[in-house]
Amino acid sequence: MKRRPTDAAKRFLWNRWFLLLIVALVGVSLWVMSSGGSSVLHPNQDKSDLGLRLGLDLKGGVQLVYQADYSQIPQSENWDADQKSLAISGAVKTIESRVNGLGVLEPIIQRQGSDRVLVELPGISDVEQAKSVIEATAFLEFREVEVKGSSVATLNDYISDSGTGLFDTSVPGSRMFYASTSQDPVAILKLSDNGTRIYTDKDGNDITDSVGTLSTADKNAQCWMPATGTLNGVQTQLIGPGYLKSAKSEASSKSTTGAVTWGVGIDWNSDGWTLFNSIAQDLFPYYSSSSVNQRCLLGIVLDNKLISSPQIMASSYTTAEITGNFDSSSSHQLAVELTSGALPVPLKTLYESQISATLGGDFVHKAFIAGLVGFLVIALFMIFYYRLPGVVATAALAIYVLIVLAIYKLIPVTLSLAGIAGFVVSMGMAVDANVLIFERMKEELRAGRTLGSAMDAGFSRAWPSIRDSNISTFITCAILYWFGGHIVASSTVKGFALTLFIGVAVSMFSAIMISRTLLWTFLTGSWAARHLNWFGVEMKPAAGTEDV
Amino acid sequence: MFDFVGKRYWFFLLSALVIVPGVISLAIVGLKPGVDFKSGTSITLSFGDIVSVSEDDLRGEMSSLGYTDSLVQSTGSGSFYITIPGTLSTEDEHTITSDMENRFQYTFPADQQPEYLVVSPMVASETARNAATAVAIAALGILLYITFAFRKMPNPFRWGVCAIVALLHDILVVMGIFSILGWVAGVKVDVMFITGMLTVAGYSVHDTIVVFDRIRENMSKHVGTDFEDTVNVSIVQTLTRSLNTSLTVFLVLLTLLLLVGGTIHNFTLVLLIGVVTGTYSSVCNASQLLIVWEKGEWRRFFSWLPFVRKPSPQT
Repeated sequence: MKRRPTDAAKRFLWNRWFLLLIVALVGVSLWVMSSGGSSVLHPNQDKSDLGLRLGLDLKGGVQLVYQADYSQIPQSENWDADQKSLAISGAVKTIESRVNGLGVLEPIIQRQGSDRVLVELPGISDVEQAKSVIEATAFLEFREVEVKGSSVATLNDYISDSGTGLFDTSVPGSRMFYASTSQDPVAILKLSDNGTRIYTDKDGNDITDSVGTLSTADKNAQCWMPATGTLNGVQTQLIGPGYLKSAKSEASSKSTTGAVTWGVGIDWNSDGWTLFNSIAQDLFPYYSSSSVNQRCLLGIVLDNKLISSPQIMASSYTTAEITGNFDSSSSHQLAVELTSGALPVPLKTLYESQISATLGGDFVHKAFIAGLVGFLVIALFMIFYYRLPGVVATAALAIYVLIVLAIYKLIPVTLSLAGIAGFVVSMGMAVDANVLIFERMKEELRAGRTLGSAMDAGFSRAWPSIRDSNISTFITCAILYWFGGHIVASSTVKGFALTLFIGVAVSMFSAIMISRTLLWTFLTGSWAARHLNWFGVEMKPAAGTEDV
Repeated sequence: MFDFVGKRYWFFLLSALVIVPGVISLAIVGLKPGVDFKSGTSITLSFGDIVSVSEDDLRGEMSSLGYTDSLVQSTGSGSFYITIPGTLSTEDEHTITSDMENRFQYTFPADQQPEYLVVSPMVASETARNAATAVAIAALGILLYITFAFRKMPNPFRWGVCAIVALLHDILVVMGIFSILGWVAGVKVDVMFITGMLTVAGYSVHDTIVVFDRIRENMSKHVGTDFEDTVNVSIVQTLTRSLNTSLTVFLVLLTLLLLVGGTIHNFTLVLLIGVVTGTYSSVCNASQLLIVWEKGEWRRFFSWLPFVRKPSPQT
């Protein structure tokens, strides 16, 4: 196996390029891991721990406790304990899928007590950001105008009214007042427990005392009450999640102008359709009636916003569409929020705080020391057993760790114990790849090959083993990741799969490229051939001269 | 050269000796669910800044009260959030409150009494089941890949099956040992256990394939007198590598166990057992099983079944 000089020269040139590539990679990785890299890549994140995003079990995070707000559920529904319990479980599931949709965050979401949801999110120092993720849910309801006498009731009617109750006593629930200029309500009216009127603004601040000082335009805001229909003989309010079967984004083109408008097509379940058509039956007669024509409007209210109020033009419908000021992406987003994001019961924040790691406050420190010691132990073992190649493998391993951590930080991956496990295993596989190669090299050296050809043979013979075992690991990772992400929201499985995948991919690169290039660079001098014991081989080579 | 192949039934016997009791224990007692899988109680304690209490103090105090499986987290400014498995009676709650007051010389003010609330399991029990299903599907994927990668060998499908059986072997060994440890030493299974099992599954297949790969190489080079000999040569050739790799992983786990300890002992325990059984099954079981299948030796054990052909007269 004598190499021709031209090949060797070519090889030497290639090796220089590879070396340059490795140096560049190390440089980029070092920058990513530096605090300078942190402020460019993740400006909103905690800069400690090398800027890596650590999971709840390692680092702690934000703890939020939500309480179900049953007061927003119409009293007519009169939920019993079982229904409330079901609603809370539903809320837990919804929050889970919502948070998991953000990527590998590894949150903890638990039901606490009878009406609370506990959410813990790692790696987010910005509590408001965390909250916006959880609370950005769509609460869909339908409303119709409330009538006083022969006209639509306005906010002013309520203010100047001396009574305490609601005008239409048959429909309980809140009243929302919308001025024609805005989708946001001017005011929301609820009855307190003792029956007095409480006004709040759109953010929930109490404005009962100041509601009289609103502008005339605001006071003329029209009153919308929950649209109710009859379901199984009971007057029931139509609220999104319970009756919604599916919602999807739809485009339709206007016949006259050809302009495309976007909307969200709604399909109710059978109860939903019964209820919807019962409401339509109530509202339809006003379509052709001259008295208070607005009574045929069905207000679509999403998170307290009156997004549109189409006329009900038939007594029965088989399709329903929410129209409004949508484009393709906002209608799609609404469809997603309606189907997966809507909470069965509105939640309000009870308290929020920073919480320490479940594995103990000083876990990261201990784990860091353990990682360092572990690395040293591997290095010592490799150097003791494989001598010079062991030194090279140790250098390759250090570069490997650096690159993997940089990738974790770039994506960013939330490192929890499961993630660390994936990392440790991939590190084991990186070591294994080197062990495989060096064992083969030793075998080839013992068989009397020259150093250069033994090195080549070591790499090329070990390659199928490395390839097959790593591909099978890739398959495992892909299936675990897909499974963890789509079939069930299981972030432990997903986190493990992701870190292992990255780790094994880099380990293949590390073993083949980094170890090999470094070996070639440092060990191809003629001095190396004279010291085969540096390679852990006691025997002298049988024949042949060094060829590079 | 050590005869790994000839002693194959001794190796199978050793595996059976570990697995059978474990499986029986699994079938009868199952695994003991830990704090992650059970409904529990969350305790919110607030000491303010009057007395100084650390997480470790509380962890120690909880275990001296008999709640060894508790999670203690600090929520800042002397407040703590503790999760323990199971529900508490009002009496238990009083005991904990008064014990805390005695131990830390602090009286909780009326408006900051410890709060006890029942919490749902931190990890839904579906997670464990789903992780298992995921591993099963992954095993199927690996089976297909090995069948493809070894397509030039006779009966490549058998290689895949044997690798998966070795995987199953390792999973059963770890689960069985944990089941036994459950009722012997009260070892509970938590989400770290799932993570550990996933790790073992990944490691096991990796380890087996390296041996298989060497057999494939030696077969194409016609090393060895017959299939049995080829397999034995391959096992011996890869032995140093198998042991060295396992040793490095073992050493890393040992440092984890010694330096981090306590809170992740379950995880390290799963991996330590997993590495040992993973190495054992790839050296002593997987390829031997292949021989048993290739030579049809299994027929001897099932020859009493009517549809099984009699074994061919082979040694």
